[in-house]
Amino acid sequence: MKPLQVVGNRVLRVDGKAKVQGAALYPQDINMEGMLYGATLRSDKPHAFITIDLEEAEKIPGVVKILTAKDVTGHNHHGVLFKDHDVLCAEKVRRIGDPMAFVIGTSERIAKEALKKIKVHYQEIPAVFDPLEAMEERAPKIHGESNIIYHYKCRKGNVDEAFKACDIIVERAYQTSMVDHAFLQPEAGIAYMDEDGSVVVLAATQYPHFDQLEVAEALGLPTEKVRIINPAVGGAFGGREDITMQIHLALAAYLTGKPVKVVYGREESFYAHSKRHPIMMKYKTGATKEGKLLAMEVMLVGDTGAYASWAINVMRKAGVHAPGPYEIPNVKVDSYAVYTNNPFCGAMRGFGATQTPIGSEQQMDILARELGIDPIQFRLMNCFRVGSETANGQILHESIPLVQCIEAVKDRMFQELR
Amino acid sequence: MISISLTVNKQVYQVEVEEDLRLIDFIRDKLMLTGTKEGCGEGECGACTIIMDGKTVNSCLVMAFQAHGSRITTIEGVAKDGALHPIQQAFLDVGAVQCGFCTPGMVLSAKALLDENEVPNRHQIREGISGNLCRCTGYNKIVDAIELASSYIKEGQQDETSSSGRQ
Ligand code: FES
Ligand code: FES
Repeated sequence: MKPLQVVGNRVLRVDGKAKVQGAALYPQDINMEGMLYGATLRSDKPHAFITIDLEEAEKIPGVVKILTAKDVTGHNHHGVLFKDHDVLCAEKVRRIGDPMAFVIGTSERIAKEALKKIKVHYQEIPAVFDPLEAMEERAPKIHGESNIIYHYKCRKGNVDEAFKACDIIVERAYQTSMVDHAFLQPEAGIAYMDEDGSVVVLAATQYPHFDQLEVAEALGLPTEKVRIINPAVGGAFGGREDITMQIHLALAAYLTGKPVKVVYGREESFYAHSKRHPIMMKYKTGATKEGKLLAMEVMLVGDTGAYASWAINVMRKAGVHAPGPYEIPNVKVDSYAVYTNNPFCGAMRGFGATQTPIGSEQQMDILARELGIDPIQFRLMNCFRVGSETANGQILHESIPLVQCIEAVKDRMFQELR
Repeated sequence: MISISLTVNKQVYQVEVEEDLRLIDFIRDKLMLTGTKEGCGEGECGACTIIMDGKTVNSCLVMAFQAHGSRITTIEGVAKDGALHPIQQAFLDVGAVQCGFCTPGMVLSAKALLDENEVPNRHQIREGISGNLCRCTGYNKIVDAIELASSYIKEGQQDETSSSGRQ
């Protein structure tokens, strides 16, 4: 067999040389002849019906066009799982930062100036920021009939019976916070019309093929008339999976026939993209006095904010990972995703699996302490090995080097403490 | 408008600039040197780092007119005669580049450090890049790269003396 060329060898990354020289082009580095600039008007109220008056803004010299919901030529919606975002809010804003209008001007300065002259009349409606309150029947509804958009259930054995057999039960609640990816390159993009009448959007994205579908649907064009070009991407970590500016830019280029560029500053970047779901967790974990885990009951409530994004996948994964890497014969997990008027949450590194160890591992520490067992020993007594069965019934047939990992960490940890 | 003169990457510019123009915009939009990046616009991230009269500065916090009379190096001025600078080479060799958006600023902070202290220890390296955020690498590889760069630079000098000795 020929020796492998890449696997096991050090390879220089293809884009590395351009990046160390500052020659790699990110969207903000790309300019086109005769381009116009865009700026986005965003809501500063979390829940309100809106009417927008453009009259004064449109009079500013250099303002070419101001797009609102009625200018969307196809469907005024997008979203990775549910089409619950408006491209530009038509009637209602559901969070602070919702895009309502997109100004196209001859310079960035003019476009931003015009934002200040747009008059928005907000008719505020009650908002909800606490996901537990949002689950209640009488809570204000963000979309449709219910704020609960997903309920994952996992049932294994019988927790009620098993808790009776436990010598010790620990019950605690945990809460993680909302986190931003803060990728170093704020969103930027440029769109233009190709000679063959296609609209081309050049933006840093994690999902160009899906962006193409979303842009095509919102513009009412066949997909072959939409091209997405992904230049250098300055970090993403899940935060570039949802559409931010792509459709605004595409519409602007399509309706003006000119190249249009937009660059978000850091603050606008925070408003524009998803966050990591904050999760409220209730854990009840029981063990025998010898230290064998017998039962675990978990409730998770993930606040997805005003839009679903990947909430369902994230809260499913959180539910699947909630018991941690431990053999527990009786498990009950309920994991919910809930709309609120908070910033919207979606993909971020770990996709739900990052949050639950905050709960499950602290449960392990507390149980070990109360039982008087060394916390590392306690984990070794209960952790997955080859042949273990997870809470959802998966038999782990191979490659579960968790014991080796814990032991390696233990050795290093104590070396470093010495 | 204010007229200023300054040197950027060894080239002298005599220009008129708006009073409210930031140095980063002058570099990116007027000189079209887009290797200098804007990550925050408020002095937090260091993506806009340049070397001005031997010291690193955040070009988003300096007004263009304040650069009057200064000597500036941007990332485009680091490589010599088309050959990568040892710092750039070390970043590549170690794998210290991921998305690359912090890289120009990191390379310049490393350069300012190594220009003053040829053999910094890891602690001094960390301090040298403490004004630069990287969201991708976790920093260790960047510290490794700067350490390696320091040894490349020393070897390079030895090579130069030994080769000049031979001639
Ligand atoms: S852009 Fe200047 S410090 Fe972040
Ligand atoms: S490589 Fe992405 S921010 Fe440093």
